[in-house]
Amino acid sequence: MHKILIVDDDPLIRLLLEEILSDVRVRNIRIFSADNGHTAAEIIQREAPEIVFLDVMLPGINGFEVCNMIKNTLKMNNIYIIMLTAKGQELDKQKAKDSGADFYITKPFTIQDVIRKVKEVLGPDS
Amino acid sequence: MSKLFKKTLLIIIILFAIIALTTAISTGWNLYRDLTEEYKSKGTAIAKSIASSSVETLLNREASTVQAMIDQFTEIMGVSYVFVVDVQGEIISHTFVPMIPEEIQVIKNDKTRTIKDIHIKGMGDFIDIASPIVEGTVGVVHVGMDKGTIFSQLRAGMIRQLSLLSVIFIISVAFAYIFVNKISQPLNTLTDYSKKLASHDFAATVDIQSQDEIGLLADTMKSMAMDLSEVFERYELAMKDAIVELQDTLSYITAVIDNMADGLLVTDIDGIINHVNPALSIMFNITEAEMIGKHCKDLFGNELAEIVEKSRRSPDEAFTTEIKLAEGKVGQAVATGIHKDSLETDDFHGKGIGSVILIRDITSEKEIGQMKTDFISTVSHELRTPLTSVLGFTEIIERRLEENIFPLIQQTGQIVDTTIERIRNNIKIILSEGERLTALINDVLDVSKLEAGKVEWKIENISIAELIEHARFATSALFEQKKLEFKKDVEPNLPVISGDRDRLIQVFINLLSNAVKFTEKGYVLCRVKRGDDEIVVSISDTGSGISESNKKTVFEKFIQAGDTLTDKPRGTGLGLSICKQIVEYHGGTIWVESQAGQGSTFSFTLPLISRDLSKPFDILSISHLEKN
Repeated sequence: MHKILIVDDDPLIRLLLEEILSDVRVRNIRIFSADNGHTAAEIIQREAPEIVFLDVMLPGINGFEVCNMIKNTLKMNNIYIIMLTAKGQELDKQKAKDSGADFYITKPFTIQDVIRKVKEVLGPDS
Repeated sequence: MSKLFKKTLLIIIILFAIIALTTAISTGWNLYRDLTEEYKSKGTAIAKSIASSSVETLLNREASTVQAMIDQFTEIMGVSYVFVVDVQGEIISHTFVPMIPEEIQVIKNDKTRTIKDIHIKGMGDFIDIASPIVEGTVGVVHVGMDKGTIFSQLRAGMIRQLSLLSVIFIISVAFAYIFVNKISQPLNTLTDYSKKLASHDFAATVDIQSQDEIGLLADTMKSMAMDLSEVFERYELAMKDAIVELQDTLSYITAVIDNMADGLLVTDIDGIINHVNPALSIMFNITEAEMIGKHCKDLFGNELAEIVEKSRRSPDEAFTTEIKLAEGKVGQAVATGIHKDSLETDDFHGKGIGSVILIRDITSEKEIGQMKTDFISTVSHELRTPLTSVLGFTEIIERRLEENIFPLIQQTGQIVDTTIERIRNNIKIILSEGERLTALINDVLDVSKLEAGKVEWKIENISIAELIEHARFATSALFEQKKLEFKKDVEPNLPVISGDRDRLIQVFINLLSNAVKFTEKGYVLCRVKRGDDEIVVSISDTGSGISESNKKTVFEKFIQAGDTLTDKPRGTGLGLSICKQIVEYHGGTIWVESQAGQGSTFSFTLPLISRDLSKPFDILSISHLEKN
């Protein structure tokens, strides 16, 4: 069972990612979703998902802080974090790297960007 | 008593003293000699006459007769005594009263003719003249002439002469006084006159009518005074004009300075504030009186003191810094040195005498800049999120239609096939337009970052050939789509250049994709040559070309070749503007050569000796501020 968490305050983006992932044809994927940083933190600690799609602009605590918490405070280094942001600025890329994110996808992304990355992380058997 | 007269008097006194002395000596001597001679001859004559007339008397020894004769001779002036000595040496008669002095006894025996000076005690000095009677056979007559008479006569003569000289002296002095006064009076008048002239009293007059040198001097001074008065009048007028002009200029300048919206601060060479304007007082909420005479460092901090110091050392440069103003506002200070061109110093740049610092309140500009940045990132975020959904779901729809729906449609026919084809086309349009919108958002972000100077440039050594390979790879899909040929003509052994790799690749991609976009058939040629101190890159196509009127504006924002009303827009209109900014940042230039219908060539240069790129943000932010 692969667990993937989608964190975005926009329900349509969550829906889009869920639909893309449902089309990946990977067996045994369980998708969790959260619309804010606090909920995301709770789910991460409870479920320990393999992949987290993490939006930067979140109500409450932002994506960088969530990422920082997972990697540096909780030391959950097995979690693969893909930051999602609308900003294509170098500063945000650097911030994502500093907070410990594994990958960075800028909006708008294509289906192929997402599928390729998920397959890469989950391994060839999926 | 005038000095001139004093001097004259001194000269007269000395002159008279010399005259009096010499005349007194010479006349005294002459008089003495003459009188002595006269007395001698007189005495001799008397003695001879007594001798000759007394021979008989003596022979007869009639002493009383002789006595009577000699007595009358004593009446003659100068004759003091007479005595007769007989052959035995006895004084037989004499005129001595009451008795014969001893000195006479000594000389009575002289029987020869002699003249000698004798002194008789109690009676004085005498000239004794002895005259023998009949060769001394009878006796000798002695006549004594009184020398005292000679001296008294001499004294009287001298007194007369000196009195005369004194009178002449007094008269001379009187004359000298009058004469000297006559000279010194006009001289004094002239002195007073020249003193008045010296104190610029040109209305003063002088009344000297004499025809001599003094008159000439007076005339010269009068004409000089007139000339001076004229010159002074002219200068005074010129000066008044200059003062009025200066006052006007000063009023203008003061008005300009006082009404400037920017704060003005002037410091001397040591950084001491010596002038401020009201705007500055308001900016810092410090009164003018509190600022004058203080050091700028004490009032405005190290940053300002630093640029003041720099401006003093570099006359041709302006230095800027941000400075905190009162009420949490932010100002930008620009310091420029005040340099005086001086011949006295060898310094090529002249002598620094202080600095002028202009302070502008850039709070609102900064706020606007921040608002602009925030706005753009917000808008781009707000646009990208729905765009992500639109593109994502469209892709999902396309995929599901292709994979799940279209294969299931069993019914065949013209209408169904056409509909399916139209749906495919429609979805492609949605996707390509969505991508165009994404590109537009990216370009807008790029332009705003470039203009705000917020691009972080990563300057490194790069090879042009490698850049071309990257760009060629990125645009290969476009070339395949249009079936266009990519040709390149790159000079071998090109030197490396320093620049931002990603940004320069962006330029190549932009120019290559533009070339493809506007070319329907033929090829795109990328040529790289080495110039004198630069590398020249040109990208030519065989496309539609650009009309003369469009050539001027292609590098401007939101301008595209062709008419957007009739032609289908095929880009964002920002690409060339971005290219221009990137190339110019690297110190190069970009231009286009084209003729409508005959293709276009876009060229740009990259300098081999790159300019100092170490402080790009200052330059960009200043130019940005100047634009505003």
